[in-house]
Amino acid sequence: MASLTEDPVLGINDIKEREEENEKGKTQVVKTEEVGQSERDMASATGNSIHRSGSRPQLDLSKAAIQGNFEERDPTILLPNQSDDLSHLALDIGGSLIKLVYFSRHEDQSIDDKRKKTLKERLGISNGNRRSYPILGGRLHFVKFETNKINECLDFIYSKQLHRGGMDARIWNPDAPTNENAVIKATGGGAYKFADLFKERLGVSLDKEDEMNCLVSGANFLLKAIRHEAFTHMEGHKEFVQIDQNELFPYLLVNIGSGVSMIKVDGDGKFQRISGTNVGGGTYWGLGRLLTKCKSFDELLELSQLGDNRTIDMLVGDIYGGMDYSKIGLSASTIASSFGKAISENKELEDYSPEDISLSLLRMISYNIGQISYLNALRFGLKRIFFGGFFIRGHAYTMDTISFAVQFWSKGDAQAMFLRHEGFLGALGAFMSYEKHGLDDLMVHHLVERFPMGAPYTGGKIHGPPLGDLNEKISWMEKFVRKGTEITAPVPMAPPGTTGLGGFEVPSSKGGTLRSDASALNIGVLHLVPTLEVFPLLADPKTYEPNTIDLSDHGELEYWFTVLSEHLPDLVDKAVASEGGTDDAKRRGDAFARAFSAHLARLMEEPAAYGKLGLANLLELREECLREFQFVDAYRSIKQRENEASIAVFADLLMELDSMTEETRLLTLIEGVLAANIFDWGSRACVDLYHKGTIIEIYRMSRNKMQRPWRVDDFDVFKERMLGSGDKKPHPHKRALLFVDNTGADVILGMLPLARELLRRGTEVVLVANSLPALNDVTAMELPEIVAEGAKHCDILRRAAEAGGLLVDAMVSTLDDSKGNSSSVPLMVVENGCGSPCIDLRQVSSELAAAAKEADLIILEGMGRALHTNFNARFKCDALKLAMVKNQRLAEKLIKGNIYDCVCRYEPLS
Amino acid sequence: MQQTPDQQVHNLIRGAGKARGERGRAKMDIVESKQISEPIKSEAQISHLALDIGGSLIKLVYFSTNNDSSSSSSSSSSSSSSKDSVAVSSGNEGRPVLEGKLHFAKFETAKINDCIDFIRSKQLRLSGFQKHGAPAGEKCTIKKATGGGAYKYADLFKEKLGICLDKEDEMDCLVAGSNFLLKAVHTEAFAYIDGQKEFVQIDHDDLYPYMLVNIGSGVSMIKVDGPGKFERVSGTNVGGGTFWGLGRLLTKCKSFDELLELSHRGNNRVIDMLVGDIYGGMDYTKIGLSSTTIASSFGKAISDNKELEDYKPEDISRSLLRMISNNIGQISYLNALRFGLKRIFFAGFFIRGHAYTMDTIAVAVHFWSKGEAKAMFLKHEGFLGALGSFMSYEKHGFLNLKVHQLVQQSPVDASRGEDKIHDPPNGELNENQSIDCSICLS
Repeated sequence: MASLTEDPVLGINDIKEREEENEKGKTQVVKTEEVGQSERDMASATGNSIHRSGSRPQLDLSKAAIQGNFEERDPTILLPNQSDDLSHLALDIGGSLIKLVYFSRHEDQSIDDKRKKTLKERLGISNGNRRSYPILGGRLHFVKFETNKINECLDFIYSKQLHRGGMDARIWNPDAPTNENAVIKATGGGAYKFADLFKERLGVSLDKEDEMNCLVSGANFLLKAIRHEAFTHMEGHKEFVQIDQNELFPYLLVNIGSGVSMIKVDGDGKFQRISGTNVGGGTYWGLGRLLTKCKSFDELLELSQLGDNRTIDMLVGDIYGGMDYSKIGLSASTIASSFGKAISENKELEDYSPEDISLSLLRMISYNIGQISYLNALRFGLKRIFFGGFFIRGHAYTMDTISFAVQFWSKGDAQAMFLRHEGFLGALGAFMSYEKHGLDDLMVHHLVERFPMGAPYTGGKIHGPPLGDLNEKISWMEKFVRKGTEITAPVPMAPPGTTGLGGFEVPSSKGGTLRSDASALNIGVLHLVPTLEVFPLLADPKTYEPNTIDLSDHGELEYWFTVLSEHLPDLVDKAVASEGGTDDAKRRGDAFARAFSAHLARLMEEPAAYGKLGLANLLELREECLREFQFVDAYRSIKQRENEASIAVFADLLMELDSMTEETRLLTLIEGVLAANIFDWGSRACVDLYHKGTIIEIYRMSRNKMQRPWRVDDFDVFKERMLGSGDKKPHPHKRALLFVDNTGADVILGMLPLARELLRRGTEVVLVANSLPALNDVTAMELPEIVAEGAKHCDILRRAAEAGGLLVDAMVSTLDDSKGNSSSVPLMVVENGCGSPCIDLRQVSSELAAAAKEADLIILEGMGRALHTNFNARFKCDALKLAMVKNQRLAEKLIKGNIYDCVCRYEPLS
Repeated sequence: MQQTPDQQVHNLIRGAGKARGERGRAKMDIVESKQISEPIKSEAQISHLALDIGGSLIKLVYFSTNNDSSSSSSSSSSSSSSKDSVAVSSGNEGRPVLEGKLHFAKFETAKINDCIDFIRSKQLRLSGFQKHGAPAGEKCTIKKATGGGAYKYADLFKEKLGICLDKEDEMDCLVAGSNFLLKAVHTEAFAYIDGQKEFVQIDHDDLYPYMLVNIGSGVSMIKVDGPGKFERVSGTNVGGGTFWGLGRLLTKCKSFDELLELSHRGNNRVIDMLVGDIYGGMDYTKIGLSSTTIASSFGKAISDNKELEDYKPEDISRSLLRMISNNIGQISYLNALRFGLKRIFFAGFFIRGHAYTMDTIAVAVHFWSKGEAKAMFLKHEGFLGALGSFMSYEKHGFLNLKVHQLVQQSPVDASRGEDKIHDPPNGELNENQSIDCSICLS
């Protein structure tokens, strides 16, 4: 028997060496053992430590520079070197399910840019691996098929050309020969079994990866890279656990497949299978099938929801005549002997309900796994136990039972945790085994998870045939509507915590309140955006929580769902209009409305379905959903109209401002920002306002109402920092980051004059705007034009914009010495990396991160950026948060005030 | 209890645990109920009965004096041993000492009348202790009993035999019985190595702590630190009841023993998914799994298109037995490990001397502990409770029990060390199971 230490696959850094030795490894493994002696072997051995090299080849960025002929397409792309020789697909072919993880890239929308180049130089960003639209980066998809429908899986792969490195590979490198000897990484028993089939149908060879290696590297990746991957599940209540990367190891990974493996993980590539049990998912399904005639694992699992195990299990109370045997800590409802009642009664198999049998079996096995896992964790002093594998599949009762067992036996010392992507550990690990997958270097902030429109319907269920283009999506949606099931009649909600699934000691549990897949967690598409960074000015990134409102409060959740639902028709109107109001646009609008409503209904029922839920996530989901139905910019025409109207009065406003004293002007400027912030299509109240007057009327009216003191009013402190007191003149800020909110009056009549004032005082200004449209928020794409328009009316802005490279025409002549032009401090525009009204400062664009390095003032403007998120954020520099509260409930909750109250919160760096 | 400890005689000091145990009602049909095989000589005086009335079996332990010893339990003045007692020690001066044997008998709980007849025929009911508080007119002899049936059948015993059952805590009794046996009987404990029984001599000074795993309907794991000092540290709900319950549903067997018997002829590979089934016959050597290792019990029942009827009951029984024995062995070892216990004694009705069961458990413990820990079994495994119950007379000061270890009659069991795994179950205690001993009435 080849011993582990001889296994040459391990501990190899060099790629070639690794491949060669891999072959050797395979031949060694083939040795079989004599049968007779090993009959009594147990499910697993201990003690074989597996050490895998943690140092995989680094991300190859060697060809990442922009190539001339691709200039217009902004080809600077994630991991360009992969497309030539690698396919971006990995498989885990298990006995019952095939799991796919594949990577896709998306064509980038081009934005030109010399402007950008100048900006990058200005900010000191080296050219090359930065992208203009981070959100459109690569995506990691998770798909599963039933193994017995392997043809569906093959069709799926073929239709997406995944075995050839994906369609984008050819777009990307059209000259590359189609790879006839493509190799796909695969793990799981089926990697052997179906190797020929893959060769025959797709012409690809499956390269088998060690299952345990894959599991561990998959789990390590998920736990490190995804913020809310792990969660606990007790008594029907799910709670996400944020795990400090530095404290991740060691942990126990329990993979419950047909059998159960228990793996102690000490680090990347460092793990050891310490134990296991042969009583696992296969036992549940095998025994369950024999006892109940169920036709599928899921059917059996579903049955358990309706069961009552007390008819079959012998409880302590049955033995002690209903009394607790409290002396040894056993309550009457503790199961003394699983299936123990089947002994004493004269009933036959037919006399027991399959539901009861299924539940009894499920509890027996889950509990046993929990107990053995805990005992093993105890041996090695491991506090955290992660359970994964196909047996669990998000089933609430299973998780509860396992959690209970761990809790019970450890007396609360150890914690059972589960992983949202638990079914995909192996496939992910196989993906990671590509030499140049590039995932090693990814950090939490590089990943954004999106939930496509199908998510509310398919839940954790098995993926059907692939949906191709938009049209198919819409048809699919319409089909669902016609069926009149899920969407039009959302499943009644079970209030959290009332499932009564108390675990092992509380067999009174009834699964009736849970939909079968109610706890099936959705897995979204993982967007890999390597350019995203943590905002460097966050005072404490570890404790930073973007959301101000905690949606785990059910009342809060309900309220915001209502707000979003009510706003939906208006949004659909705008969206359809933005696409010319065509029939096609109407159809898409319809589908969008249904898809988004379905998301809402799903989240209402299972708030944690997509991970930890905050208001920012909800708002972002809406934008993503719009984009999914190709509403690129629903407010396009409105934004344009408002910009024009605001620019028209811009000169007048500047004149008015310039006539004031410095002190009055500063106040008026802040008033102006607050007043202009009323223009917000995201607020129901404001939408109503729009119907009553013109922009300028509203702005003036609004500004006149801006009488101090505001509800939160730190203006005097801010003024002192800006203007000083008495003779003492403070030095101006070096660089200010202005996070702008809406188009039109908000940015033009509010923020731009404020920026101008800062520039005038010698402070560099960076306008930070969205990367992608969200409602009527201004985007980084639109800002330069707006600034250019404004610059026509103002020298200060013009010189600063020129210095910042915003004025393309002017730049042509000054390009060479743009850096040396000291006539003005620059005005710059950077994108924030977001496409949502809110901003999560853990994931911002690299541009913004670079711009932040020299900044000593941050101004956050608007509800989304300053109230819904970041209201409580602390920074390493002075920060000013400005917003008008355009929502009564939020006003009450946050500042104990009323709608239209204003917040001027200044937090100097102490 | 004032005896000094003696190498050959052990004085059991009982813990002060309060009795409120009741034994499981798990029913277990016993095909044949062997009474004790040593015929009781008619002239022998029999006394001191204690019972363990379980859901499926009633276990009896009683004492009979040797032929030549004259004694009467009712008269505390008239007894003395005419025989040299190996075990005489200084503690019982002036007290009657009875030489005799401890006998073990069991009946199916369902046939409780046989048991009552037996007690009546042996006049076991006479030798008891008058209930102190009993009304003068009421004739009531107190007998110690444990197990759930001590509650359930209390009235029946009173009515038919005039016996009042005095309930003792089950866990207390188990531990007391096990401590007694391990100290008093030389050839009590044995290990199962490569399918062979090997008796183990236990150094009395090195007995504690140990793990006692009692496999009844469920499984209790008890850490025993000394006489009367113990703690239930763990357990599992996958036990004898699970074997028999699931087995009954799956095979239509009519009795536990029938199910056990079936397992001999079975082949678990038909139903269990082995490592080789997954890896195409190859070992997964990297993690130390051979191709014949069970990866998933009943795992093959998934993929086949076979229904329950298509599987042989023999195979099912075997698979089930291995699953449960292995699981118990594993959890026991893990718990022993927690407390640094090297010795694990397995007892309880599930085992009933069944070679394959013991072998599976032993292999599990050996495998998981890499040979560090040892599974051991007790010859009187089914009688721990009854014995403990018997011991409780002592606790209450009624008697002292001494064992003449060297005198145990069986031509001991070196000859039995040859048991093969596939022998039919020697589900019953063998002949000469009785233990020579003396009782000192106080």
